[in-house]
Amino acid sequence: MPDQLADERALITGLVDGNAGRWDLDGLIPEDLLRDLGARGLLCAQVKPSYGGLGLDSATNGELTAHTGSLCSSLRSVQTSQGMAAWAISRLGDADQRRTHLRALTSGQLAAVAFSEQDAGSDLSAMSTRIQRSGDSVVVDGAKKWITAARYADLLVVFGQYEDSAAAVVVPRSAPGVTVDVIADPLGCRAAGHANVRLDSVRLPAASLLGGGGHPLSLLVTTALTYGRMSVAWGCVGILRACLRAAVRHASSRKQFGTPLTGHQLVARHLADLFVAEQGATRACEHASRCWDSKSPEVATAAVLAKYVSSRNAATAAASAVQVLASAAAQDGHVVARAYRDAKLMEIIEGSTEICQLVLAEHAVTTTL
Amino acid sequence: MTINEAATPALAAQIQAGLLAFLEAKTKQVVAPGQDIFGTGLATSMFALELVVHLEGTYGIEIAGPDLRLEHFRTVEKMTALTLRLKAEAESTDSA
Repeated sequence: MPDQLADERALITGLVDGNAGRWDLDGLIPEDLLRDLGARGLLCAQVKPSYGGLGLDSATNGELTAHTGSLCSSLRSVQTSQGMAAWAISRLGDADQRRTHLRALTSGQLAAVAFSEQDAGSDLSAMSTRIQRSGDSVVVDGAKKWITAARYADLLVVFGQYEDSAAAVVVPRSAPGVTVDVIADPLGCRAAGHANVRLDSVRLPAASLLGGGGHPLSLLVTTALTYGRMSVAWGCVGILRACLRAAVRHASSRKQFGTPLTGHQLVARHLADLFVAEQGATRACEHASRCWDSKSPEVATAAVLAKYVSSRNAATAAASAVQVLASAAAQDGHVVARAYRDAKLMEIIEGSTEICQLVLAEHAVTTTL
Repeated sequence: MTINEAATPALAAQIQAGLLAFLEAKTKQVVAPGQDIFGTGLATSMFALELVVHLEGTYGIEIAGPDLRLEHFRTVEKMTALTLRLKAEAESTDSA
Protein backbone atom coordinates (compact mmCIF):
# COMPACT_ATOMS: atom_id res chain seq x y z
CA MET A 1 0.00 0.00 0.00
CA PRO A 2 1.47 3.39 -0.95
CA ASP A 3 2.82 5.38 1.98
CA GLN A 4 1.65 8.66 0.44
CA LEU A 5 -1.81 7.98 1.86
CA ALA A 6 -0.84 6.93 5.38
CA ASP A 7 -2.24 10.15 6.90
CA GLU A 8 -5.48 9.93 4.92
CA ARG A 9 -5.98 6.29 5.88
CA ALA A 10 -5.36 7.08 9.55
CA LEU A 11 -7.82 9.97 9.35
CA ILE A 12 -10.55 7.75 7.86
CA THR A 13 -9.85 5.03 10.43
CA GLY A 14 -10.12 7.58 13.23
CA LEU A 15 -13.46 8.91 11.99
CA VAL A 16 -15.06 5.58 11.11
CA ASP A 17 -13.67 2.83 13.33
CA GLY A 18 -16.03 2.10 16.19
CA ASN A 19 -18.87 4.10 14.59
CA ALA A 20 -19.74 2.09 11.47
CA GLY A 21 -21.86 -0.41 13.41
CA ARG A 22 -24.01 2.35 14.84
CA TRP A 23 -24.36 4.05 11.45
CA ASP A 24 -25.55 0.70 10.06
CA LEU A 25 -28.20 0.38 12.79
CA ASP A 26 -29.26 4.03 12.45
CA GLY A 27 -29.21 3.88 8.64
CA LEU A 28 -27.38 7.19 8.62
CA ILE A 29 -23.85 8.61 8.46
CA PRO A 30 -23.47 12.05 10.12
CA GLU A 31 -23.64 14.58 7.28
CA ASP A 32 -20.91 16.84 8.68
CA LEU A 33 -18.50 13.89 8.55
CA LEU A 34 -19.31 13.32 4.85
CA ARG A 35 -18.84 17.03 4.09
CA ASP A 36 -15.55 17.06 6.00
CA LEU A 37 -14.21 14.06 4.02
CA GLY A 38 -15.51 15.67 0.81
CA ALA A 39 -13.75 18.96 1.50
CA ARG A 40 -10.51 17.02 1.99
CA GLY A 41 -10.98 15.54 -1.49
CA LEU A 42 -11.28 12.02 -0.06
CA LEU A 43 -14.67 11.18 -1.61
CA CYS A 44 -13.50 11.69 -5.22
CA ALA A 45 -9.74 11.39 -4.91
CA GLN A 46 -8.96 11.11 -8.64
CA VAL A 47 -10.07 14.71 -9.32
CA LYS A 48 -7.09 16.76 -10.51
CA PRO A 49 -5.38 19.20 -8.13
CA SER A 50 -6.26 22.07 -10.50
CA TYR A 51 -9.89 21.48 -9.43
CA GLY A 52 -9.03 21.10 -5.76
CA GLY A 53 -8.69 17.30 -5.87
CA LEU A 54 -5.94 14.94 -4.71
CA GLY A 55 -5.16 13.80 -8.28
CA LEU A 56 -4.64 10.16 -7.33
CA ASP A 57 -4.22 7.53 -10.01
CA SER A 58 -6.70 4.66 -10.16
CA ALA A 59 -4.43 2.19 -8.33
CA THR A 60 -3.83 4.52 -5.38
CA ASN A 61 -7.46 5.58 -5.19
CA GLY A 62 -8.34 1.89 -5.32
CA GLU A 63 -6.34 1.19 -2.17
CA LEU A 64 -7.99 4.18 -0.47
CA THR A 65 -11.40 2.82 -1.52
CA ALA A 66 -10.53 -0.65 -0.19
CA HIS A 67 -9.44 0.88 3.12
CA THR A 68 -12.74 2.75 3.41
CA GLY A 69 -14.63 -0.39 2.40
CA SER A 70 -12.88 -2.48 5.04
CA LEU A 71 -14.35 -0.16 7.70
CA CYS A 72 -17.76 0.80 6.30
CA SER A 73 -19.34 -0.13 2.97
CA SER A 74 -21.97 2.59 3.39
CA LEU A 75 -19.30 5.28 3.47
CA ARG A 76 -17.51 3.55 0.59
CA SER A 77 -20.78 3.64 -1.39
CA VAL A 78 -21.00 7.40 -0.84
CA GLN A 79 -17.38 7.57 -2.06
CA THR A 80 -18.31 5.53 -5.16
CA SER A 81 -21.23 7.86 -5.95
CA GLN A 82 -19.23 11.03 -5.45
CA GLY A 83 -16.33 9.66 -7.51
CA MET A 84 -18.65 8.54 -10.29
CA ALA A 85 -20.35 11.95 -10.38
CA ALA A 86 -16.96 13.69 -10.52
CA TRP A 87 -15.76 11.34 -13.24
CA ALA A 88 -18.92 11.87 -15.32
CA ILE A 89 -18.51 15.65 -14.99
CA SER A 90 -14.82 15.56 -15.89
CA ARG A 91 -15.47 13.39 -18.98
CA LEU A 92 -18.73 14.89 -20.21
CA GLY A 93 -18.56 18.48 -19.01
CA ASP A 94 -17.05 21.45 -20.83
CA ALA A 95 -14.25 23.53 -19.25
CA ASP A 96 -16.62 25.83 -17.31
CA GLN A 97 -18.73 22.95 -16.02
CA ARG A 98 -15.66 21.07 -14.83
CA ARG A 99 -14.33 24.12 -13.02
CA THR A 100 -17.64 24.87 -11.30
CA HIS A 101 -18.80 21.40 -10.35
CA LEU A 102 -15.50 19.66 -9.60
CA ARG A 103 -14.54 22.51 -7.28
CA ALA A 104 -17.90 22.07 -5.54
CA LEU A 105 -17.32 18.32 -5.14
CA THR A 106 -13.93 18.89 -3.52
CA SER A 107 -15.27 21.63 -1.20
CA GLY A 108 -17.82 19.68 0.80
CA GLN A 109 -20.76 19.44 -1.57
CA LEU A 110 -22.09 15.92 -2.11
CA ALA A 111 -23.29 14.28 -5.31
CA ALA A 112 -25.12 11.20 -6.58
CA VAL A 113 -25.54 9.66 -10.02
CA ALA A 114 -29.02 8.73 -11.26
CA PHE A 115 -29.31 6.02 -13.92
CA SER A 116 -31.78 3.33 -12.91
CA GLU A 117 -35.56 3.51 -13.20
CA GLN A 118 -38.52 1.22 -12.49
CA ASP A 119 -38.38 -0.26 -16.01
CA ALA A 120 -34.71 0.42 -16.75
CA GLY A 121 -32.38 -1.51 -14.45
CA SER A 122 -30.03 -3.83 -16.32
CA ASP A 123 -31.50 -2.48 -19.58
CA LEU A 124 -30.59 1.18 -19.25
CA SER A 125 -31.48 1.80 -22.90
CA ALA A 126 -35.12 1.61 -21.72
CA MET A 127 -34.65 4.81 -19.67
CA SER A 128 -37.71 7.04 -19.96
CA THR A 129 -36.36 10.17 -18.26
CA ARG A 130 -36.54 13.01 -20.80
CA ILE A 131 -34.30 16.04 -20.96
CA GLN A 132 -35.75 18.63 -23.31
CA ARG A 133 -34.41 21.89 -24.57
CA SER A 134 -36.69 24.89 -24.15
CA GLY A 135 -35.07 28.17 -25.22
CA ASP A 136 -32.28 28.97 -22.75
CA SER A 137 -33.45 26.20 -20.42
CA VAL A 138 -33.64 22.45 -20.21
CA VAL A 139 -36.60 20.68 -18.64
CA VAL A 140 -36.14 17.30 -16.94
CA ASP A 141 -38.95 14.80 -16.30
CA GLY A 142 -38.54 11.31 -14.90
CA ALA A 143 -38.38 8.99 -11.92
CA LYS A 144 -35.10 7.43 -10.79
CA LYS A 145 -34.94 4.43 -8.49
CA TRP A 146 -32.53 3.26 -5.79
CA ILE A 147 -30.08 6.13 -6.21
CA THR A 148 -27.16 5.58 -3.85
CA ALA A 149 -26.27 8.62 -1.70
CA ALA A 150 -29.18 10.68 -3.06
CA ARG A 151 -30.30 11.30 0.53
CA TYR A 152 -27.11 13.28 1.17
CA ALA A 153 -26.61 14.79 -2.29
CA ASP A 154 -26.60 18.52 -3.09
CA LEU A 155 -26.16 17.70 -6.80
CA LEU A 156 -27.66 14.89 -8.85
CA VAL A 157 -26.07 13.88 -12.14
CA VAL A 158 -29.17 12.67 -14.00
CA PHE A 159 -29.00 10.64 -17.22
CA GLY A 160 -31.85 10.68 -19.73
CA GLN A 161 -32.97 10.67 -23.34
CA TYR A 162 -32.19 13.90 -25.20
CA GLU A 163 -33.20 14.65 -28.79
CA ASP A 164 -32.09 11.63 -30.87
CA SER A 165 -29.43 10.49 -28.38
CA ALA A 166 -28.83 11.06 -24.66
CA ALA A 167 -27.47 13.53 -22.13
CA ALA A 168 -26.41 13.97 -18.54
CA VAL A 169 -27.62 17.00 -16.64
CA VAL A 170 -26.49 18.41 -13.29
CA VAL A 171 -29.58 18.96 -11.13
CA PRO A 172 -29.33 20.83 -7.82
CA ARG A 173 -31.30 18.94 -5.17
CA SER A 174 -32.89 22.27 -4.25
CA ALA A 175 -34.37 22.89 -7.72
CA PRO A 176 -38.19 23.14 -7.80
CA GLY A 177 -39.70 19.82 -8.92
CA VAL A 178 -37.06 17.56 -7.33
CA THR A 179 -38.37 15.09 -4.73
CA VAL A 180 -36.06 12.71 -2.85
CA ASP A 181 -37.75 9.80 -1.01
CA VAL A 182 -35.40 7.90 1.27
CA ILE A 183 -35.64 4.08 1.06
CA ALA A 184 -36.24 2.61 4.51
CA ASP A 185 -34.18 -0.34 5.82
CA PRO A 186 -32.21 -1.46 2.74
CA LEU A 187 -30.74 -4.99 2.95
CA GLY A 188 -27.16 -3.72 2.89
CA CYS A 189 -25.07 -0.54 2.90
CA ARG A 190 -27.85 0.68 5.14
CA ALA A 191 -26.35 4.11 5.75
CA ALA A 192 -25.49 4.82 2.09
CA GLY A 193 -28.53 7.08 1.68
CA HIS A 194 -30.42 5.14 -1.01
CA ALA A 195 -33.41 7.09 -2.27
CA ASN A 196 -35.91 7.32 -5.10
CA VAL A 197 -35.77 10.62 -6.96
CA ARG A 198 -38.66 12.22 -8.84
CA LEU A 199 -38.11 15.01 -11.33
CA ASP A 200 -41.30 16.86 -12.26
CA SER A 201 -40.77 19.50 -14.97
CA VAL A 202 -37.46 20.54 -13.38
CA ARG A 203 -36.39 23.66 -15.31
CA LEU A 204 -32.67 24.45 -15.32
CA PRO A 205 -30.32 26.75 -17.26
CA ALA A 206 -29.13 25.12 -20.51
CA ALA A 207 -25.59 25.25 -19.07
CA SER A 208 -26.64 22.41 -16.76
CA LEU A 209 -26.46 20.02 -19.72
CA LEU A 210 -23.01 18.40 -19.53
CA GLY A 211 -21.03 19.07 -22.71
CA GLY A 212 -24.17 20.37 -24.42
CA GLY A 213 -25.75 16.88 -24.41
CA GLY A 214 -26.24 14.71 -27.48
CA HIS A 215 -23.92 11.86 -26.44
CA PRO A 216 -24.49 8.21 -27.32
CA LEU A 217 -26.32 6.64 -24.35
CA SER A 218 -24.05 3.59 -24.42
CA LEU A 219 -21.00 5.81 -24.11
CA LEU A 220 -22.48 7.90 -21.28
CA VAL A 221 -23.47 4.86 -19.29
CA THR A 222 -20.30 2.83 -19.80
CA THR A 223 -18.07 5.82 -19.09
CA ALA A 224 -19.70 6.52 -15.72
CA LEU A 225 -20.23 2.86 -14.82
CA THR A 226 -16.62 1.93 -15.52
CA TYR A 227 -15.55 4.25 -12.71
CA GLY A 228 -18.35 2.84 -10.54
CA ARG A 229 -17.28 -0.73 -11.25
CA MET A 230 -13.67 0.00 -10.31
CA SER A 231 -14.83 1.60 -7.08
CA VAL A 232 -17.24 -1.20 -6.15
CA ALA A 233 -14.58 -3.81 -6.99
CA TRP A 234 -12.00 -2.15 -4.74
CA GLY A 235 -14.68 -1.66 -2.07
CA CYS A 236 -15.28 -5.42 -2.14
CA VAL A 237 -11.55 -5.97 -1.63
CA GLY A 238 -12.07 -3.98 1.57
CA ILE A 239 -14.98 -6.23 2.59
CA LEU A 240 -12.74 -9.25 1.96
CA ARG A 241 -9.89 -7.82 4.05
CA ALA A 242 -12.25 -7.04 6.94
CA CYS A 243 -13.68 -10.57 6.82
CA LEU A 244 -10.26 -12.20 6.62
CA ARG A 245 -8.99 -10.15 9.56
CA ALA A 246 -12.03 -10.89 11.73
CA ALA A 247 -12.02 -14.60 10.89
CA VAL A 248 -8.29 -15.05 11.57
CA ARG A 249 -8.49 -13.13 14.87
CA HIS A 250 -11.45 -15.14 16.05
CA ALA A 251 -10.05 -18.49 14.94
CA SER A 252 -6.71 -17.74 16.60
CA SER A 253 -8.18 -16.75 19.96
CA ARG A 254 -11.11 -19.14 20.43
CA LYS A 255 -10.56 -22.72 21.59
CA GLN A 256 -12.94 -25.64 21.11
CA PHE A 257 -12.18 -29.27 21.95
CA GLY A 258 -9.04 -27.90 23.66
CA THR A 259 -7.55 -26.54 20.42
CA PRO A 260 -7.63 -23.06 18.80
CA LEU A 261 -10.07 -23.00 15.87
CA THR A 262 -7.11 -22.54 13.53
CA GLY A 263 -6.07 -26.09 14.43
CA HIS A 264 -9.37 -27.52 13.19
CA GLN A 265 -8.91 -28.41 9.55
CA LEU A 266 -12.45 -27.57 8.44
CA VAL A 267 -12.06 -24.08 9.93
CA ALA A 268 -8.58 -23.75 8.42
CA ARG A 269 -10.09 -24.40 5.01
CA HIS A 270 -12.41 -21.40 5.49
CA LEU A 271 -9.36 -19.26 6.31
CA ALA A 272 -7.53 -20.48 3.20
CA ASP A 273 -10.57 -19.69 1.04
CA LEU A 274 -10.91 -16.23 2.60
CA PHE A 275 -7.24 -15.51 1.91
CA VAL A 276 -7.47 -16.71 -1.70
CA ALA A 277 -10.68 -14.73 -2.27
CA GLU A 278 -9.00 -11.54 -1.01
CA GLN A 279 -5.85 -12.11 -3.06
CA GLY A 280 -7.74 -12.98 -6.26
CA ALA A 281 -9.95 -9.90 -5.99
CA THR A 282 -6.96 -7.67 -5.26
CA ARG A 283 -5.09 -8.93 -8.34
CA ALA A 284 -8.15 -8.40 -10.59
CA CYS A 285 -8.54 -4.84 -9.26
CA GLU A 286 -4.84 -4.08 -9.64
CA HIS A 287 -4.98 -5.22 -13.26
CA ALA A 288 -8.05 -3.08 -14.00
CA SER A 289 -6.42 -0.04 -12.38
CA ARG A 290 -3.27 -0.62 -14.44
CA CYS A 291 -5.45 -0.61 -17.59
CA TRP A 292 -7.10 2.61 -16.39
CA ASP A 293 -3.80 4.33 -15.56
CA SER A 294 -2.10 3.27 -18.83
CA LYS A 295 -5.15 4.27 -20.94
CA SER A 296 -5.63 0.78 -22.31
CA PRO A 297 -8.95 0.16 -24.15
CA GLU A 298 -9.08 -3.09 -22.18
CA VAL A 299 -10.16 -1.01 -19.16
CA ALA A 300 -13.89 -1.38 -19.94
CA THR A 301 -13.74 -5.17 -19.80
CA ALA A 302 -11.13 -5.29 -17.03
CA ALA A 303 -13.41 -3.18 -14.81
CA VAL A 304 -16.31 -5.58 -15.40
CA LEU A 305 -14.04 -8.54 -14.66
CA ALA A 306 -12.73 -6.95 -11.44
CA LYS A 307 -16.25 -6.07 -10.28
CA TYR A 308 -17.48 -9.58 -11.08
CA VAL A 309 -14.63 -11.37 -9.30
CA SER A 310 -14.54 -9.05 -6.28
CA SER A 311 -18.28 -8.94 -5.61
CA ARG A 312 -18.72 -12.69 -5.95
CA ASN A 313 -15.66 -13.38 -3.82
CA ALA A 314 -16.89 -10.92 -1.20
CA ALA A 315 -20.36 -12.51 -1.03
CA THR A 316 -18.97 -16.04 -0.71
CA ALA A 317 -16.22 -15.08 1.71
CA ALA A 318 -18.51 -13.02 3.92
CA ALA A 319 -20.73 -16.09 4.31
CA SER A 320 -17.64 -18.14 5.31
CA ALA A 321 -16.62 -15.47 7.80
CA VAL A 322 -20.06 -15.58 9.44
CA GLN A 323 -19.65 -19.37 9.62
CA VAL A 324 -16.26 -19.06 11.35
CA LEU A 325 -17.33 -16.38 13.82
CA ALA A 326 -20.77 -17.91 14.35
CA SER A 327 -22.67 -16.26 17.21
CA ALA A 328 -19.85 -13.74 17.69
CA ALA A 329 -20.83 -12.12 14.38
CA ALA A 330 -24.52 -12.91 14.22
CA GLN A 331 -25.72 -9.47 15.20
CA ASP A 332 -26.49 -6.45 13.03
CA GLY A 333 -23.81 -3.81 13.22
CA HIS A 334 -20.94 -6.32 13.56
CA VAL A 335 -18.36 -5.88 10.81
CA VAL A 336 -18.89 -9.43 9.51
CA ALA A 337 -22.70 -9.22 9.70
CA ARG A 338 -22.51 -5.98 7.72
CA ALA A 339 -20.14 -7.59 5.22
CA TYR A 340 -22.60 -10.46 4.70
CA ARG A 341 -25.47 -8.09 3.83
CA ASP A 342 -23.41 -5.43 2.05
CA ALA A 343 -21.58 -7.93 -0.20
CA LYS A 344 -24.87 -9.36 -1.46
CA LEU A 345 -25.89 -5.91 -2.74
CA MET A 346 -22.53 -5.61 -4.50
CA GLU A 347 -23.52 -8.60 -6.67
CA ILE A 348 -26.44 -6.49 -7.89
CA ILE A 349 -25.31 -2.90 -8.43
CA GLU A 350 -23.13 -1.38 -11.19
CA GLY A 351 -23.94 -4.33 -13.47
CA SER A 352 -25.42 -7.44 -11.85
CA THR A 353 -23.47 -10.69 -11.79
CA GLU A 354 -25.55 -11.88 -14.75
CA ILE A 355 -24.92 -8.71 -16.82
CA CYS A 356 -21.20 -9.05 -16.06
CA GLN A 357 -21.37 -12.67 -17.26
CA LEU A 358 -22.98 -11.60 -20.54
CA VAL A 359 -20.35 -8.92 -21.12
CA LEU A 360 -17.50 -11.30 -20.27
CA ALA A 361 -18.92 -14.11 -22.43
CA GLU A 362 -19.20 -11.74 -25.38
CA HIS A 363 -15.64 -10.62 -24.78
CA ALA A 364 -14.47 -14.24 -24.67
CA VAL A 365 -16.24 -15.03 -27.94
CA THR A 366 -14.82 -12.03 -29.83
CA THR A 367 -11.27 -12.30 -28.52
CA THR A 368 -10.60 -16.02 -28.19
CA LEU A 369 -11.15 -17.34 -31.72
CA MET B 1 1.71 25.90 -44.87
CA THR B 2 3.03 24.48 -41.61
CA ILE B 3 4.67 21.11 -41.26
CA ASN B 4 1.54 19.84 -39.50
CA GLU B 5 -0.71 20.76 -42.40
CA ALA B 6 1.63 19.09 -44.89
CA ALA B 7 1.62 15.94 -42.78
CA THR B 8 -2.17 15.86 -42.38
CA PRO B 9 -3.20 13.67 -45.36
CA ALA B 10 -0.66 11.01 -44.40
CA LEU B 11 -1.67 11.20 -40.73
CA ALA B 12 -5.36 11.08 -41.63
CA ALA B 13 -4.78 7.94 -43.69
CA GLN B 14 -2.84 6.41 -40.82
CA ILE B 15 -5.55 7.23 -38.25
CA GLN B 16 -8.27 5.92 -40.54
CA ALA B 17 -6.42 2.68 -41.22
CA GLY B 18 -5.79 2.21 -37.48
CA LEU B 19 -9.45 2.78 -36.67
CA LEU B 20 -10.66 0.38 -39.36
CA ALA B 21 -8.28 -2.29 -38.08
CA PHE B 22 -9.40 -1.70 -34.47
CA LEU B 23 -13.08 -1.88 -35.46
CA GLU B 24 -12.64 -4.99 -37.54
CA ALA B 25 -10.70 -6.76 -34.80
CA LYS B 26 -13.40 -5.95 -32.26
CA THR B 27 -16.50 -6.59 -34.39
CA LYS B 28 -15.16 -9.32 -36.72
CA GLN B 29 -16.78 -7.41 -39.58
CA VAL B 30 -15.44 -5.38 -42.46
CA VAL B 31 -16.27 -1.74 -41.78
CA ALA B 32 -16.45 1.01 -44.42
CA PRO B 33 -15.01 4.48 -43.59
CA GLY B 34 -18.43 6.12 -44.09
CA GLN B 35 -20.51 3.43 -42.35
CA ASP B 36 -22.71 4.56 -39.43
CA ILE B 37 -21.36 2.26 -36.72
CA PHE B 38 -23.85 3.43 -34.06
CA GLY B 39 -26.89 3.34 -36.36
CA THR B 40 -26.06 -0.19 -37.51
CA GLY B 41 -25.66 -1.49 -33.97
CA LEU B 42 -21.95 -2.33 -34.29
CA ALA B 43 -21.07 -0.18 -31.29
CA THR B 44 -21.94 -2.16 -28.17
CA SER B 45 -21.82 -0.45 -24.81
CA MET B 46 -18.31 -1.72 -24.03
CA PHE B 47 -17.10 -0.92 -27.49
CA ALA B 48 -17.97 2.79 -27.54
CA LEU B 49 -15.76 3.40 -24.49
CA GLU B 50 -12.99 1.17 -25.88
CA LEU B 51 -12.93 3.30 -29.03
CA VAL B 52 -12.56 6.51 -27.05
CA VAL B 53 -9.77 5.12 -24.85
CA HIS B 54 -8.06 3.63 -27.92
CA LEU B 55 -7.95 7.02 -29.66
CA GLU B 56 -6.81 8.80 -26.50
CA GLY B 57 -4.06 6.32 -25.74
CA THR B 58 -2.79 5.97 -29.32
CA TYR B 59 -2.74 9.66 -30.27
CA GLY B 60 -2.08 11.31 -26.91
CA ILE B 61 -5.32 13.29 -26.95
CA GLU B 62 -8.16 13.76 -24.49
CA ILE B 63 -11.69 13.46 -25.80
CA ALA B 64 -14.12 15.06 -23.36
CA GLY B 65 -17.26 17.16 -23.10
CA PRO B 66 -18.79 18.29 -26.41
CA ASP B 67 -16.19 16.25 -28.36
CA LEU B 68 -17.75 13.03 -27.02
CA ARG B 69 -21.02 13.77 -28.81
CA LEU B 70 -22.49 11.14 -31.09
CA GLU B 71 -21.97 13.18 -34.26
CA HIS B 72 -18.16 12.85 -33.92
CA PHE B 73 -18.33 9.06 -33.58
CA ARG B 74 -20.87 7.99 -36.19
CA THR B 75 -18.30 6.97 -38.80
CA VAL B 76 -14.59 6.26 -39.08
CA GLU B 77 -14.26 9.38 -41.24
CA LYS B 78 -15.78 11.56 -38.50
CA MET B 79 -13.61 9.99 -35.81
CA THR B 80 -10.54 10.60 -37.98
CA ALA B 81 -11.47 14.28 -38.37
CA LEU B 82 -12.00 14.59 -34.60
CA THR B 83 -8.65 12.96 -33.85
CA LEU B 84 -6.81 15.23 -36.30
CA ARG B 85 -8.39 18.34 -34.79
CA LEU B 86 -7.67 17.34 -31.17
CA LYS B 87 -4.12 16.31 -32.04
CA ALA B 88 -3.50 19.67 -33.73
CA GLU B 89 -4.98 21.49 -30.73
CA ALA B 90 -2.85 19.47 -28.30
CA GLU B 91 0.31 20.19 -30.33
CA SER B 92 -0.39 23.92 -30.61
CA THR B 93 -0.92 24.07 -26.83
CA ASP B 94 2.34 22.16 -26.28
CA SER B 95 4.36 24.47 -28.52
CA ALA B 96 2.74 27.65 -27.18
